Amino acid sequence: MKRNLPRKLWSERTLYLMLLPTILYFVLFHVLPIWNMRLAFYRFSVKSDWTFVGLKYFRMIFGSPEFFRILKNTLVISFMKYVLLFPCFVVFAILLNELWSNGFRKYVQVVSYLPHFLSWVVIAGIWISMLSLQGGWNQFLSFFHIPARDYMTDRSVIRWVLFFCEGWRSLGWDSIIYFTAIIAINPSLFEAAEIDGGGRRVIIRHIILPALITPMVTMFILNLGFFLNAGFDQVLNFSNDAVLSTIDILDTYIYRIGIQNGQYSLATAVSLIKGVVGMVLVFGTHVVSKRMTGTGVW
Amino acid sequence: MKRRKPREIVLQALLALLLGFVTLTMIIPLLNILAKSLSSPETSIGMGGLEIFPRKLDFLNYRIVFSHPVLMASLWNSIFVTVVGTLLNMALTCSAAYVLTRPNLTLKKPLMVFLIIMMLFDPGTVPEYLVVKDLGLMGSRWSVILVMSVNVYYLVILMRYFEKVSPAIVEAATIDGCGHMQMLFSIICPLSQAGIATITMFYAVVRWNEYFRASIYIMKATDTVLQVILRQFVVLGDTISMVGQQNLFNYNDIARMDYSALKDATIVVAIIPILLIYPVVLRFYARDALAGSVKE
Repeated sequence: MKRNLPRKLWSERTLYLMLLPTILYFVLFHVLPIWNMRLAFYRFSVKSDWTFVGLKYFRMIFGSPEFFRILKNTLVISFMKYVLLFPCFVVFAILLNELWSNGFRKYVQVVSYLPHFLSWVVIAGIWISMLSLQGGWNQFLSFFHIPARDYMTDRSVIRWVLFFCEGWRSLGWDSIIYFTAIIAINPSLFEAAEIDGGGRRVIIRHIILPALITPMVTMFILNLGFFLNAGFDQVLNFSNDAVLSTIDILDTYIYRIGIQNGQYSLATAVSLIKGVVGMVLVFGTHVVSKRMTGTGVW
Repeated sequence: MKRRKPREIVLQALLALLLGFVTLTMIIPLLNILAKSLSSPETSIGMGGLEIFPRKLDFLNYRIVFSHPVLMASLWNSIFVTVVGTLLNMALTCSAAYVLTRPNLTLKKPLMVFLIIMMLFDPGTVPEYLVVKDLGLMGSRWSVILVMSVNVYYLVILMRYFEKVSPAIVEAATIDGCGHMQMLFSIICPLSQAGIATITMFYAVVRWNEYFRASIYIMKATDTVLQVILRQFVVLGDTISMVGQQNLFNYNDIARMDYSALKDATIVVAIIPILLIYPVVLRFYARDALAGSVKE
Protein backbone atom coordinates (compact mmCIF):
# COMPACT_ATOMS: atom_id res chain seq x y z
CA MET A 1 0.00 0.00 0.00
CA LYS A 2 2.71 2.46 1.09
CA ARG A 3 4.86 1.52 -1.93
CA ASN A 4 2.03 2.32 -4.30
CA LEU A 5 1.40 5.79 -2.91
CA PRO A 6 3.74 7.74 -5.24
CA ARG A 7 2.38 5.85 -8.23
CA LYS A 8 -1.19 6.50 -7.14
CA LEU A 9 -0.52 10.21 -6.67
CA TRP A 10 1.16 10.34 -10.09
CA SER A 11 -1.91 8.80 -11.68
CA GLU A 12 -4.02 11.57 -10.11
CA ARG A 13 -1.67 14.34 -11.28
CA THR A 14 -4.24 16.07 -13.52
CA LEU A 15 -6.55 16.44 -10.54
CA TYR A 16 -3.85 18.00 -8.36
CA LEU A 17 -2.92 20.31 -11.20
CA MET A 18 -6.55 21.49 -11.29
CA LEU A 19 -6.41 22.10 -7.55
CA LEU A 20 -3.08 23.93 -7.71
CA PRO A 21 -4.44 27.50 -8.21
CA THR A 22 -6.70 27.11 -5.17
CA ILE A 23 -3.86 25.78 -3.01
CA LEU A 24 -1.58 28.54 -4.27
CA TYR A 25 -4.21 31.11 -3.33
CA PHE A 26 -4.53 29.78 0.21
CA VAL A 27 -0.77 29.60 0.67
CA LEU A 28 -0.32 33.20 -0.52
CA PHE A 29 -3.25 34.85 1.21
CA HIS A 30 -3.85 32.66 4.27
CA VAL A 31 -0.71 30.69 5.14
CA LEU A 32 1.63 33.65 4.60
CA PRO A 33 -0.53 35.97 6.75
CA ILE A 34 -0.61 33.28 9.45
CA TRP A 35 3.20 33.14 9.24
CA ASN A 36 3.18 36.96 9.54
CA MET A 37 1.31 36.65 12.82
CA ARG A 38 4.67 36.04 14.53
CA LEU A 39 4.81 39.84 14.36
CA ALA A 40 2.88 39.74 17.65
CA PHE A 41 6.19 38.84 19.32
CA TYR A 42 8.36 41.27 17.35
CA ARG A 43 8.76 45.02 16.96
CA PHE A 44 7.91 45.96 13.39
CA SER A 45 10.39 47.73 11.15
CA VAL A 46 10.14 48.52 7.45
CA LYS A 47 13.88 48.71 6.70
CA SER A 48 15.68 46.32 9.05
CA ASP A 49 14.67 42.95 10.49
CA TRP A 50 11.98 42.75 13.11
CA THR A 51 13.35 42.70 16.68
CA PHE A 52 12.12 40.03 19.06
CA VAL A 53 10.39 41.51 22.11
CA GLY A 54 8.75 38.43 23.63
CA LEU A 55 5.39 38.98 25.29
CA LYS A 56 5.68 42.76 25.45
CA TYR A 57 2.56 43.44 23.37
CA PHE A 58 0.51 40.85 25.24
CA ARG A 59 1.45 42.50 28.53
CA MET A 60 0.42 45.85 27.02
CA ILE A 61 -2.94 44.42 25.97
CA PHE A 62 -3.75 42.70 29.25
CA GLY A 63 -2.51 45.72 31.21
CA SER A 64 -4.80 48.20 29.49
CA PRO A 65 -8.34 48.87 30.73
CA GLU A 66 -9.27 49.80 27.16
CA PHE A 67 -8.86 46.19 26.01
CA PHE A 68 -11.24 44.88 28.67
CA ARG A 69 -13.83 47.55 27.87
CA ILE A 70 -13.65 46.52 24.19
CA LEU A 71 -13.81 42.83 25.08
CA LYS A 72 -16.91 43.53 27.17
CA ASN A 73 -18.53 45.44 24.28
CA THR A 74 -17.76 42.55 21.94
CA LEU A 75 -19.28 39.98 24.28
CA VAL A 76 -22.40 42.09 24.98
CA ILE A 77 -23.05 42.78 21.28
CA SER A 78 -22.41 39.14 20.38
CA PHE A 79 -24.78 38.02 23.12
CA MET A 80 -27.52 40.29 21.77
CA LYS A 81 -26.99 39.17 18.17
CA TYR A 82 -26.41 35.46 18.65
CA VAL A 83 -28.48 34.66 21.72
CA LEU A 84 -31.33 37.20 21.90
CA LEU A 85 -31.90 37.58 18.18
CA PHE A 86 -31.68 33.92 17.32
CA PRO A 87 -35.15 32.87 18.62
CA CYS A 88 -36.70 35.59 16.45
CA PHE A 89 -35.67 33.68 13.31
CA VAL A 90 -37.36 30.53 14.63
CA VAL A 91 -40.53 32.45 15.56
CA PHE A 92 -40.58 34.15 12.16
CA ALA A 93 -40.36 30.78 10.37
CA ILE A 94 -43.21 29.37 12.50
CA LEU A 95 -45.41 32.44 11.94
CA LEU A 96 -44.72 32.30 8.21
CA ASN A 97 -45.97 28.73 8.18
CA GLU A 98 -49.15 29.73 10.02
CA LEU A 99 -50.26 32.09 7.24
CA TRP A 100 -53.29 30.81 5.35
CA SER A 101 -52.64 32.60 2.08
CA ASN A 102 -49.83 31.14 -0.02
CA GLY A 103 -49.60 34.34 -2.05
CA PHE A 104 -49.16 36.54 1.01
CA ARG A 105 -46.57 34.15 2.43
CA LYS A 106 -44.59 34.31 -0.80
CA TYR A 107 -44.77 38.12 -0.72
CA VAL A 108 -43.44 38.22 2.87
CA GLN A 109 -40.61 35.85 1.91
CA VAL A 110 -39.56 37.72 -1.23
CA VAL A 111 -39.48 41.03 0.65
CA SER A 112 -37.81 39.78 3.82
CA TYR A 113 -34.98 37.92 2.06
CA LEU A 114 -33.87 41.04 0.20
CA PRO A 115 -32.06 43.04 2.94
CA HIS A 116 -29.59 40.17 3.39
CA PHE A 117 -28.11 41.03 -0.01
CA LEU A 118 -27.58 44.75 0.61
CA SER A 119 -24.10 45.83 1.66
CA TRP A 120 -23.61 47.19 5.18
CA VAL A 121 -22.65 50.52 3.63
CA VAL A 122 -26.07 50.73 1.96
CA ILE A 123 -27.88 49.52 5.09
CA ALA A 124 -26.05 52.10 7.19
CA GLY A 125 -27.00 54.76 4.64
CA ILE A 126 -30.66 53.74 4.83
CA TRP A 127 -30.85 53.56 8.63
CA ILE A 128 -28.76 56.64 9.38
CA SER A 129 -31.40 58.66 7.56
CA MET A 130 -34.37 56.60 8.86
CA LEU A 131 -33.24 57.02 12.48
CA SER A 132 -32.29 60.71 12.26
CA LEU A 133 -34.42 63.35 13.99
CA GLN A 134 -36.48 64.04 10.83
CA GLY A 135 -36.31 60.43 9.70
CA GLY A 136 -39.08 57.97 9.04
CA TRP A 137 -38.87 56.11 12.34
CA ASN A 138 -39.30 59.25 14.44
CA GLN A 139 -42.19 60.27 12.20
CA PHE A 140 -43.83 56.90 12.72
CA LEU A 141 -43.42 57.21 16.50
CA SER A 142 -44.86 60.72 16.47
CA PHE A 143 -48.25 59.17 15.52
CA PHE A 144 -48.16 57.71 19.02
CA HIS A 145 -46.88 60.98 20.54
CA ILE A 146 -43.46 59.51 21.33
CA PRO A 147 -40.89 62.33 21.31
CA ALA A 148 -38.21 62.24 18.60
CA ARG A 149 -34.65 61.33 19.46
CA ASP A 150 -31.44 60.90 17.53
CA TYR A 151 -30.84 57.17 17.79
CA MET A 152 -27.55 57.00 15.92
CA THR A 153 -25.71 59.28 18.35
CA ASP A 154 -27.41 58.10 21.55
CA ARG A 155 -25.06 55.92 23.57
CA SER A 156 -27.86 54.40 25.62
CA VAL A 157 -29.69 52.91 22.63
CA ILE A 158 -27.04 52.37 19.95
CA ARG A 159 -26.55 48.70 20.81
CA TRP A 160 -30.26 48.13 20.32
CA VAL A 161 -29.98 49.93 16.98
CA LEU A 162 -27.30 47.37 16.03
CA PHE A 163 -29.57 44.60 17.29
CA PHE A 164 -32.64 45.72 15.32
CA CYS A 165 -30.75 46.48 12.12
CA GLU A 166 -29.06 43.08 12.27
CA GLY A 167 -32.51 41.54 12.74
CA TRP A 168 -33.92 43.64 9.91
CA ARG A 169 -31.20 42.36 7.61
CA SER A 170 -31.27 38.68 8.62
CA LEU A 171 -34.85 37.97 9.72
CA GLY A 172 -35.98 36.49 6.41
CA TRP A 173 -32.78 34.90 5.18
CA ASP A 174 -31.71 33.30 8.47
CA SER A 175 -35.19 31.86 8.99
CA ILE A 176 -34.98 29.88 5.71
CA ILE A 177 -33.21 26.97 7.41
CA TYR A 178 -36.05 26.66 9.96
CA PHE A 179 -38.79 27.19 7.42
CA THR A 180 -37.45 24.43 5.14
CA ALA A 181 -37.27 22.17 8.21
CA ILE A 182 -40.95 22.87 8.88
CA ILE A 183 -42.09 22.15 5.31
CA ALA A 184 -40.06 18.94 5.35
CA ILE A 185 -42.28 17.57 8.16
CA ASN A 186 -44.42 14.66 7.01
CA PRO A 187 -47.95 16.09 6.33
CA SER A 188 -49.57 12.97 7.79
CA LEU A 189 -48.33 14.09 11.23
CA PHE A 190 -50.41 17.30 10.92
CA GLU A 191 -53.45 15.34 9.71
CA ALA A 192 -53.17 12.91 12.62
CA ALA A 193 -52.95 15.80 15.09
CA GLU A 194 -56.00 17.48 13.56
CA ILE A 195 -58.04 14.28 13.72
CA ASP A 196 -57.09 14.02 17.40
CA GLY A 197 -58.55 17.51 17.79
CA GLY A 198 -55.24 19.26 18.39
CA GLY A 199 -55.31 23.01 17.74
CA ARG A 200 -52.52 25.00 16.13
CA ARG A 201 -50.91 25.55 19.54
CA VAL A 202 -50.61 21.81 20.11
CA ILE A 203 -49.29 21.27 16.59
CA ILE A 204 -46.62 23.96 17.01
CA ARG A 205 -45.55 22.64 20.39
CA HIS A 206 -45.50 18.94 19.72
CA ILE A 207 -44.82 18.64 15.99
CA ILE A 208 -43.13 21.77 14.67
CA LEU A 209 -40.82 22.70 17.58
CA PRO A 210 -39.31 19.20 17.93
CA ALA A 211 -38.49 19.27 14.20
CA LEU A 212 -36.61 22.55 14.69
CA ILE A 213 -34.34 21.36 17.50
CA THR A 214 -31.61 20.00 15.22
CA PRO A 215 -31.21 23.11 13.01
CA MET A 216 -31.41 25.29 16.14
CA VAL A 217 -28.58 23.43 17.87
CA THR A 218 -26.45 23.50 14.72
CA MET A 219 -26.95 27.24 14.15
CA PHE A 220 -26.45 28.10 17.82
CA ILE A 221 -23.15 26.21 17.99
CA LEU A 222 -21.97 27.69 14.70
CA ASN A 223 -22.69 31.17 16.06
CA LEU A 224 -20.80 30.48 19.30
CA GLY A 225 -17.67 29.96 17.21
CA PHE A 226 -17.97 33.52 15.90
CA PHE A 227 -18.62 35.06 19.31
CA LEU A 228 -15.56 37.33 19.19
CA ASN A 229 -16.53 38.75 15.79
CA ALA A 230 -19.80 40.52 16.70
CA GLY A 231 -20.21 41.81 13.15
CA PHE A 232 -17.31 44.06 12.16
CA ASP A 233 -18.88 45.48 8.98
CA GLN A 234 -22.01 46.61 10.75
CA VAL A 235 -20.22 48.22 13.68
CA LEU A 236 -17.72 50.00 11.43
CA ASN A 237 -20.50 51.57 9.38
CA PHE A 238 -22.83 52.37 12.26
CA SER A 239 -20.24 53.95 14.54
CA ASN A 240 -19.55 57.63 15.05
CA ASP A 241 -17.59 59.58 17.64
CA ALA A 242 -20.57 59.96 19.95
CA VAL A 243 -21.18 56.23 20.38
CA LEU A 244 -17.79 54.66 19.63
CA SER A 245 -17.01 53.87 23.27
CA THR A 246 -20.12 51.68 23.66
CA ILE A 247 -19.87 49.75 20.39
CA ASP A 248 -16.11 49.54 19.87
CA ILE A 249 -15.39 45.81 19.34
CA LEU A 250 -12.18 43.79 18.90
CA ASP A 251 -12.21 43.98 15.11
CA THR A 252 -12.78 47.75 14.96
CA TYR A 253 -10.04 48.14 17.57
CA ILE A 254 -7.64 46.03 15.46
CA TYR A 255 -8.50 48.13 12.41
CA ARG A 256 -8.03 51.41 14.26
CA ILE A 257 -4.71 50.66 15.99
CA GLY A 258 -3.33 48.50 13.15
CA ILE A 259 -4.28 50.15 9.88
CA GLN A 260 -5.07 53.70 11.00
CA ASN A 261 -2.39 54.18 13.69
CA GLY A 262 0.21 51.82 12.20
CA GLN A 263 0.77 49.87 15.45
CA TYR A 264 1.16 46.63 13.49
CA SER A 265 2.52 44.45 16.29
CA LEU A 266 -0.09 45.42 18.84
CA ALA A 267 -2.94 44.86 16.35
CA THR A 268 -1.48 41.49 15.34
CA ALA A 269 -1.26 40.43 18.98
CA VAL A 270 -4.98 41.19 19.41
CA SER A 271 -5.72 39.25 16.17
CA LEU A 272 -3.70 36.31 17.49
CA ILE A 273 -5.65 36.22 20.76
CA LYS A 274 -8.90 36.48 18.83
CA GLY A 275 -7.90 33.80 16.32
CA VAL A 276 -6.81 31.30 18.95
CA VAL A 277 -9.89 31.82 21.13
CA GLY A 278 -12.08 31.56 18.01
CA MET A 279 -10.47 28.25 17.02
CA VAL A 280 -10.89 26.86 20.54
CA LEU A 281 -14.56 27.92 20.54
CA VAL A 282 -15.25 26.32 17.16
CA PHE A 283 -13.50 23.03 17.92
CA GLY A 284 -14.88 22.95 21.46
CA THR A 285 -18.45 23.48 20.32
CA HIS A 286 -17.97 21.00 17.49
CA VAL A 287 -16.91 18.30 19.97
CA VAL A 288 -19.73 19.13 22.38
CA SER A 289 -22.22 19.07 19.51
CA LYS A 290 -20.96 15.68 18.30
CA ARG A 291 -21.50 14.32 21.80
CA MET A 292 -24.90 15.90 22.31
CA THR A 293 -26.67 15.65 18.97
CA GLY A 294 -24.45 13.26 17.02
CA THR A 295 -23.98 15.88 14.29
CA GLY A 296 -21.08 18.29 14.28
CA VAL A 297 -20.62 21.46 12.34
CA TRP A 298 -18.86 19.56 9.56
CA MET B 1 -62.24 23.30 3.24
CA LYS B 2 -63.11 23.30 6.89
CA ARG B 3 -65.00 26.00 8.76
CA ARG B 4 -62.81 28.54 10.60
CA LYS B 5 -63.72 29.70 14.06
CA PRO B 6 -64.08 33.49 14.54
CA ARG B 7 -61.21 33.44 17.03
CA GLU B 8 -58.96 31.82 14.44
CA ILE B 9 -59.89 34.45 11.87
CA VAL B 10 -59.04 37.29 14.27
CA LEU B 11 -55.69 35.68 15.10
CA GLN B 12 -54.90 35.18 11.42
CA ALA B 13 -55.71 38.83 10.70
CA LEU B 14 -53.39 39.95 13.53
CA LEU B 15 -50.64 37.68 12.21
CA ALA B 16 -51.02 39.05 8.69
CA LEU B 17 -50.90 42.59 10.13
CA LEU B 18 -47.72 41.83 12.06
CA LEU B 19 -45.90 40.24 9.11
CA GLY B 20 -47.23 42.96 6.83
CA PHE B 21 -45.73 45.57 9.17
CA VAL B 22 -42.37 43.76 9.10
CA THR B 23 -42.32 43.87 5.30
CA LEU B 24 -43.27 47.56 5.35
CA THR B 25 -40.14 48.31 7.43
CA MET B 26 -38.20 46.81 4.53
CA ILE B 27 -40.10 48.38 1.64
CA ILE B 28 -40.75 51.91 2.91
CA PRO B 29 -37.10 52.92 3.55
CA LEU B 30 -36.14 51.72 0.07
CA LEU B 31 -39.05 53.46 -1.67
CA ASN B 32 -38.44 56.59 0.42
CA ILE B 33 -34.84 56.75 -0.79
CA LEU B 34 -35.95 56.21 -4.39
CA ALA B 35 -38.65 58.90 -4.07
CA LYS B 36 -36.29 61.48 -2.57
CA SER B 37 -33.61 60.80 -5.16
CA LEU B 38 -36.15 61.37 -7.94
CA SER B 39 -37.55 64.62 -6.52
CA SER B 40 -36.31 68.08 -7.36
CA PRO B 41 -33.99 69.47 -4.69
CA GLU B 42 -36.42 72.19 -3.48
CA THR B 43 -39.05 69.61 -2.64
CA SER B 44 -36.85 66.72 -1.50
CA ILE B 45 -35.45 68.80 1.38
CA GLY B 46 -38.88 69.01 2.97
CA MET B 47 -39.79 65.37 2.35
CA GLY B 48 -40.50 63.15 5.32
CA GLY B 49 -39.00 59.76 5.95
CA LEU B 50 -42.23 57.90 5.23
CA GLU B 51 -43.06 59.41 1.82
CA ILE B 52 -42.82 56.89 -0.99
CA PHE B 53 -43.76 59.00 -4.02
CA PRO B 54 -41.47 61.63 -5.55
CA ARG B 55 -42.55 65.26 -5.35
CA LYS B 56 -41.92 67.09 -8.61
CA LEU B 57 -40.09 64.46 -10.64
CA ASP B 58 -36.55 65.61 -11.44
CA PHE B 59 -33.49 63.60 -12.52
CA LEU B 60 -30.98 66.22 -11.36
CA ASN B 61 -29.49 63.92 -8.69
CA TYR B 62 -28.90 61.18 -11.22
CA ARG B 63 -27.45 63.63 -13.74
CA ILE B 64 -24.93 64.66 -11.09
CA VAL B 65 -24.13 61.07 -10.13
CA PHE B 66 -23.58 59.99 -13.74
CA SER B 67 -21.41 62.99 -14.57
CA HIS B 68 -19.35 62.77 -11.39
CA PRO B 69 -15.84 61.69 -12.49
CA VAL B 70 -14.95 59.89 -9.25
CA LEU B 71 -18.31 58.14 -8.97
CA MET B 72 -18.25 57.01 -12.59
CA ALA B 73 -14.67 55.74 -12.28
CA SER B 74 -15.58 53.83 -9.12
CA LEU B 75 -18.71 52.43 -10.77
CA TRP B 76 -16.61 51.01 -13.62
CA ASN B 77 -14.09 49.65 -11.12
CA SER B 78 -16.90 47.95 -9.23
CA ILE B 79 -18.20 46.36 -12.42
CA PHE B 80 -14.66 45.25 -13.34
CA VAL B 81 -13.97 43.80 -9.88
CA THR B 82 -17.37 42.07 -9.80
CA VAL B 83 -17.14 40.51 -13.28
CA VAL B 84 -13.46 39.51 -13.25
CA GLY B 85 -13.57 38.57 -9.56
CA THR B 86 -16.63 36.36 -9.95
CA LEU B 87 -15.13 34.63 -13.00
CA LEU B 88 -11.94 33.93 -11.04
CA ASN B 89 -14.00 32.72 -8.06
CA MET B 90 -15.98 30.33 -10.23
CA ALA B 91 -12.95 29.02 -12.15
CA LEU B 92 -11.12 28.14 -8.92
CA THR B 93 -14.18 27.00 -6.95
CA CYS B 94 -15.54 24.76 -9.72
CA SER B 95 -12.24 22.99 -10.38
CA ALA B 96 -11.53 22.62 -6.64
CA ALA B 97 -15.04 21.28 -6.00
CA TYR B 98 -14.64 18.84 -8.89
CA VAL B 99 -11.31 17.53 -7.63
CA LEU B 100 -12.48 17.22 -4.05
CA THR B 101 -15.65 15.32 -4.99
CA ARG B 102 -13.78 12.61 -6.96
CA PRO B 103 -14.25 9.33 -5.10
CA ASN B 104 -11.01 7.66 -3.91
CA LEU B 105 -8.91 10.82 -4.25
CA THR B 106 -5.83 9.89 -2.22
CA LEU B 107 -5.25 13.20 -0.46
CA LYS B 108 -8.91 14.13 0.02
CA LYS B 109 -8.91 14.05 3.82
CA PRO B 110 -5.76 16.16 4.44
CA LEU B 111 -6.86 18.65 1.77
CA MET B 112 -10.29 19.09 3.39
CA VAL B 113 -8.72 19.54 6.82
CA PHE B 114 -6.38 22.16 5.34
CA LEU B 115 -9.30 24.06 3.75
CA ILE B 116 -11.41 23.98 6.91
CA ILE B 117 -8.54 25.34 8.99
CA MET B 118 -8.11 28.07 6.36
CA MET B 119 -11.78 28.91 6.73
CA LEU B 120 -11.85 28.95 10.53
CA PHE B 121 -8.56 30.66 11.34
CA ASP B 122 -8.64 34.31 10.37
CA PRO B 123 -5.12 35.78 10.44
CA GLY B 124 -6.52 39.27 10.86
CA THR B 125 -6.25 42.54 9.02
CA VAL B 126 -2.61 43.52 9.57
CA PRO B 127 -0.86 40.21 8.61
CA GLU B 128 -2.90 40.13 5.39
CA TYR B 129 -2.18 43.81 4.74
CA LEU B 130 1.56 43.12 5.00
CA VAL B 131 1.32 40.24 2.49
CA VAL B 132 -0.56 42.40 0.00
CA LYS B 133 2.12 45.06 0.46
CA ASP B 134 4.98 42.55 -0.01
CA LEU B 135 3.39 41.16 -3.17
CA GLY B 136 3.31 44.68 -4.61
CA LEU B 137 -0.48 44.64 -5.02
CA MET B 138 -1.04 47.85 -3.06
CA GLY B 139 -3.17 50.36 -4.94
CA SER B 140 -4.19 47.86 -7.61
CA ARG B 141 -7.69 46.51 -8.19
CA TRP B 142 -6.07 43.08 -8.33
CA SER B 143 -5.42 43.23 -4.58
CA VAL B 144 -9.15 43.09 -3.91
CA ILE B 145 -9.76 40.54 -6.67
CA LEU B 146 -7.01 38.11 -5.62
CA VAL B 147 -7.43 38.36 -1.85
CA MET B 148 -10.93 36.86 -2.06
CA SER B 149 -10.37 34.18 -4.71
CA VAL B 150 -11.99 31.21 -2.96
CA ASN B 151 -14.61 31.09 -0.22
CA VAL B 152 -14.41 27.69 1.50
CA TYR B 153 -18.03 27.90 2.63
CA TYR B 154 -19.27 28.33 -0.96
CA LEU B 155 -16.84 25.62 -2.10
CA VAL B 156 -18.44 23.16 0.33
CA ILE B 157 -21.95 24.11 -0.89
CA LEU B 158 -20.87 23.53 -4.51
CA MET B 159 -19.36 20.18 -3.55
CA ARG B 160 -22.79 19.12 -2.23
CA TYR B 161 -24.28 19.84 -5.68
CA PHE B 162 -21.45 18.05 -7.53
CA GLU B 163 -21.87 14.98 -5.31
CA LYS B 164 -25.45 14.62 -6.53
CA VAL B 165 -24.36 13.95 -10.12
CA SER B 166 -24.93 10.25 -10.73
CA PRO B 167 -21.65 8.25 -10.60
CA ALA B 168 -22.95 6.06 -13.45
CA ILE B 169 -22.82 9.00 -15.87
CA VAL B 170 -19.28 9.89 -14.75
CA GLU B 171 -18.20 6.28 -15.13
CA ALA B 172 -19.72 5.95 -18.59
CA ALA B 173 -17.96 9.14 -19.70
CA THR B 174 -14.64 7.91 -18.31
CA ILE B 175 -14.95 4.68 -20.28
CA ASP B 176 -15.61 6.76 -23.40
CA GLY B 177 -12.26 8.46 -22.78
CA CYS B 178 -13.48 11.72 -21.24
CA GLY B 179 -10.67 13.66 -19.48
CA HIS B 180 -11.09 15.58 -16.25
CA MET B 181 -11.41 19.07 -17.77
CA GLN B 182 -13.97 17.86 -20.30
CA MET B 183 -15.81 16.00 -17.56
CA LEU B 184 -16.08 19.17 -15.46
CA PHE B 185 -17.19 21.45 -18.27
CA SER B 186 -19.44 19.23 -20.34
CA ILE B 187 -20.87 16.86 -17.75
CA ILE B 188 -20.63 17.98 -14.12
CA CYS B 189 -21.31 21.71 -14.59
CA PRO B 190 -24.33 21.33 -16.94
CA LEU B 191 -25.80 18.76 -14.54
CA SER B 192 -25.36 21.07 -11.52
CA GLN B 193 -26.87 24.20 -13.04
CA ALA B 194 -28.74 25.21 -9.89
CA GLY B 195 -25.57 24.95 -7.83
CA ILE B 196 -23.47 26.88 -10.34
CA ALA B 197 -26.11 29.63 -10.59
CA THR B 198 -26.47 29.89 -6.80
CA ILE B 199 -22.76 30.09 -6.07
CA THR B 200 -22.13 32.53 -8.94
CA MET B 201 -24.80 34.85 -7.54
CA PHE B 202 -23.44 34.58 -3.99
CA TYR B 203 -19.95 35.44 -5.18
CA ALA B 204 -21.21 38.30 -7.35
CA VAL B 205 -23.09 39.80 -4.37
CA VAL B 206 -20.01 39.55 -2.14
CA ARG B 207 -17.86 41.13 -4.86
CA TRP B 208 -20.28 43.98 -5.48
CA ASN B 209 -20.72 44.71 -1.76
CA GLU B 210 -17.02 44.55 -0.89
CA TYR B 211 -15.68 47.79 0.53
CA PHE B 212 -13.31 47.05 3.43
CA ARG B 213 -10.40 45.49 1.51
CA ALA B 214 -10.72 48.15 -1.19
CA SER B 215 -10.71 50.92 1.42
CA ILE B 216 -7.40 49.82 2.93
CA TYR B 217 -5.59 48.54 -0.18
CA ILE B 218 -6.59 51.21 -2.71
CA MET B 219 -5.91 54.81 -1.78
CA LYS B 220 -6.67 56.72 -4.97
CA ALA B 221 -10.32 57.73 -5.27
CA THR B 222 -10.47 56.98 -9.01
CA ASP B 223 -9.05 53.46 -8.55
CA THR B 224 -11.41 52.30 -5.83
CA VAL B 225 -14.89 50.78 -5.94
CA LEU B 226 -18.35 52.31 -5.63
CA GLN B 227 -19.03 51.05 -2.09
CA VAL B 228 -15.93 52.87 -0.77
CA ILE B 229 -17.02 56.17 -2.31
CA LEU B 230 -20.56 55.57 -1.08
CA ARG B 231 -19.18 55.00 2.40
CA GLN B 232 -17.33 58.32 2.27
CA PHE B 233 -20.55 60.09 1.33
CA VAL B 234 -23.07 58.27 3.45
CA VAL B 235 -21.28 57.12 6.56
CA LEU B 236 -18.42 59.58 6.88
CA GLY B 237 -20.50 62.49 5.56
CA ASP B 238 -17.89 63.87 3.16
CA THR B 239 -20.15 66.34 1.33
CA ILE B 240 -17.46 68.42 -0.36
CA SER B 241 -16.01 65.69 -2.53
CA MET B 242 -19.51 64.42 -3.07
CA VAL B 243 -20.63 66.94 -5.64
CA GLY B 244 -17.30 66.76 -7.41
CA GLN B 245 -15.12 69.68 -8.45
CA GLN B 246 -16.18 69.44 -12.07
CA ASN B 247 -19.86 69.51 -11.33
CA LEU B 248 -19.47 72.84 -9.57
CA PHE B 249 -18.93 74.36 -13.02
CA ASN B 250 -21.25 72.12 -14.98
CA TYR B 251 -24.43 72.91 -13.13
CA ASN B 252 -25.92 76.31 -12.56
CA ASP B 253 -28.41 74.85 -10.15
CA ILE B 254 -25.69 73.45 -7.89
CA ALA B 255 -26.62 76.07 -5.35
CA ARG B 256 -29.99 74.44 -4.86
CA MET B 257 -28.49 71.00 -4.21
CA ASP B 258 -29.93 68.70 -1.58
CA TYR B 259 -26.97 66.62 -0.42
CA SER B 260 -29.13 64.09 1.32
CA ALA B 261 -31.10 63.40 -1.89
CA LEU B 262 -27.84 63.08 -3.80
CA LYS B 263 -26.71 60.47 -1.26
CA ASP B 264 -29.98 58.65 -1.84
CA ALA B 265 -29.38 58.59 -5.60
CA THR B 266 -25.94 57.04 -5.01
CA ILE B 267 -27.48 54.40 -2.74
CA VAL B 268 -30.03 53.57 -5.45
CA VAL B 269 -27.21 53.10 -7.98
CA ALA B 270 -25.50 50.71 -5.54
CA ILE B 271 -28.70 48.70 -5.00
CA ILE B 272 -29.79 48.24 -8.64
CA PRO B 273 -27.33 45.40 -9.51
CA ILE B 274 -28.47 43.55 -6.38
CA LEU B 275 -32.10 43.84 -7.52
CA LEU B 276 -31.09 42.44 -10.93
CA ILE B 277 -29.41 39.42 -9.34
CA TYR B 278 -32.11 38.86 -6.71
CA PRO B 279 -34.63 36.94 -8.90
CA VAL B 280 -31.92 34.43 -9.86
CA VAL B 281 -31.11 33.81 -6.18
CA LEU B 282 -34.82 33.32 -5.42
CA ARG B 283 -35.25 30.99 -8.38
CA PHE B 284 -32.33 28.70 -7.58
CA TYR B 285 -31.52 28.97 -3.90
CA ALA B 286 -34.76 29.86 -2.16
CA ARG B 287 -36.91 27.70 -4.46
CA ASP B 288 -37.74 25.06 -1.87
CA ALA B 289 -38.69 27.61 0.75
CA LEU B 290 -40.81 29.59 -1.71
CA ALA B 291 -42.63 26.49 -2.93
CA GLY B 292 -44.21 26.38 0.54
CA SER B 293 -45.59 23.50 2.48
CA VAL B 294 -47.84 20.80 1.12
CA LYS B 295 -51.14 21.60 2.76
CA GLU B 296 -54.77 20.54 2.49
